[in-house]
Amino acid sequence: MPPRFEPVIIGFLCNWCSYTGADLAGVARLQYPPNLRPIRVMCTGMVHPDLVMEAFSQGADGVMIMGCHPGECHYLEGNTKAVVRAEVISIILRDIGVDPCRFELKWISSAEGSVFAELITDFTMRMQKLGPHKVNP
Amino acid sequence: MPIKIAGESLNACSGCEISILDMGERLLTLLEFATIVHLPLLMDSKHCDRKNNPQTVKLPKADVGLISGNIKTKENLELAQAMRDSCDFIIAFGTCATHGGIPALANSYQSDDLLGHCFNTVGTDKADSLPSDAVPGLMDVCYALDEHIRVDVCLPGCPPHPDHIFRALQSIEKKESFSLPEKSVCDNCPASRDGKGQVKTLKRALELPQWRVFDDTKEGFKCFLEQGFLCMGPVTRDGCGGDTDQARCIMAQVPCRGCYGPVKKEGNQRLAMLNALASNDIDISSLPETLSMLRFSGGHGLLRPLPRIKESE
Ligand code: SF4
Ligand code: SF4
Ligand code: SF4
Ligand code: FES
Repeated sequence: MPPRFEPVIIGFLCNWCSYTGADLAGVARLQYPPNLRPIRVMCTGMVHPDLVMEAFSQGADGVMIMGCHPGECHYLEGNTKAVVRAEVISIILRDIGVDPCRFELKWISSAEGSVFAELITDFTMRMQKLGPHKVNP
Repeated sequence: MPIKIAGESLNACSGCEISILDMGERLLTLLEFATIVHLPLLMDSKHCDRKNNPQTVKLPKADVGLISGNIKTKENLELAQAMRDSCDFIIAFGTCATHGGIPALANSYQSDDLLGHCFNTVGTDKADSLPSDAVPGLMDVCYALDEHIRVDVCLPGCPPHPDHIFRALQSIEKKESFSLPEKSVCDNCPASRDGKGQVKTLKRALELPQWRVFDDTKEGFKCFLEQGFLCMGPVTRDGCGGDTDQARCIMAQVPCRGCYGPVKKEGNQRLAMLNALASNDIDISSLPETLSMLRFSGGHGLLRPLPRIKESE
């Protein structure tokens, strides 16, 4: 059997909710695949689409942005910016021939360690099914 | 010893070469420290020996090579490589060379669609075959210069401002470093700006932007974007006014169209513009299309053919 494809997933995690949520998943010893490379950011509103595109052009197989639930952003409207930017990212990804499913924006609060583990497991499995992302096909 | 300059135009329109002539009297100063050894668009020189050996590219050795235009045909590629071999220093001259420029809009279409469009129009009979000999073969897409050869200096602009051309050549002669402004057109724009939030949708350019909108506190005109017109200023590199003037289109009362390419060399003008609009609560679906935000920088794989529309059965 060929070795299982291990996707490289870049995650931008907001410091206040999702990163803490991820921490909780760790403290609670929840199991989830190790494919996510988390990057802590202060807020999803600071993740410029350029960063996501750069992750893809450097060979990431999937990119996730995770932040506070709507209305709970610590900078008031960072995550609403992230929503409109996510639309822009999907448009551009589609037009340069990258499956927009490789990008996802999700909300995780600091209490949702188990949701975090589930989301990562689910996303990793989907990326495994989708196969490797080819840069500039 | 004067430095030797050679120039070639690939898939280009000759505007860049005209910009060399636009230097005015500085052209005379230029010719004191430089000789132009080859530049087919401005003088009588060919890239091959027409009489004896028309098939082989032959270029004179030069210190600086100015290459305008992008790479769309096999001939363009061969010439670009020959220039690289015969010149010590290559300047990607104009936005076509640095980012693909206007001709790279063709990258939105498949090659056979392009050929079909050129050779079979509605009013003509279908061509039996497309010409195959005596015309150079097409590359799959329009490539910016640095996708195929090493480039030493990028001089964007459609065309580049004569100030920059002169300064670039002069700094090569003096062996000094050379740099262009790394700001956006907005940074140097005289428009008055009130801040974010009033505009929700963008207008088509079917009406004229207003010029000289005065109010009690500010003078000048109101930013085109804040008037609701798409202006590519925020995502376009400054410099089109040269070393002393302000942005050319803005001063002609027209929004910027983005001809100096992205602010950072690797940038994506469409991504950056859509991001800027969306983050400021402007509904991007109010624009009829957005691919044309890459009208000057569609090389480097940024513009690609859209999925073909299936013909109805
Ligand atoms: S950059 Fe502009 S002026 Fe220069 S060759 Fe291209 S289209 Fe013409
Ligand atoms: S958007 Fe256009 S008009 Fe407004 S400041 Fe920028 S360059 Fe000037
Ligand atoms: S204003 Fe914009 S489009 Fe006009 S010349 Fe300057 S960079 Fe080019
Ligand atoms: S602080 Fe968490 S999304 Fe803004």
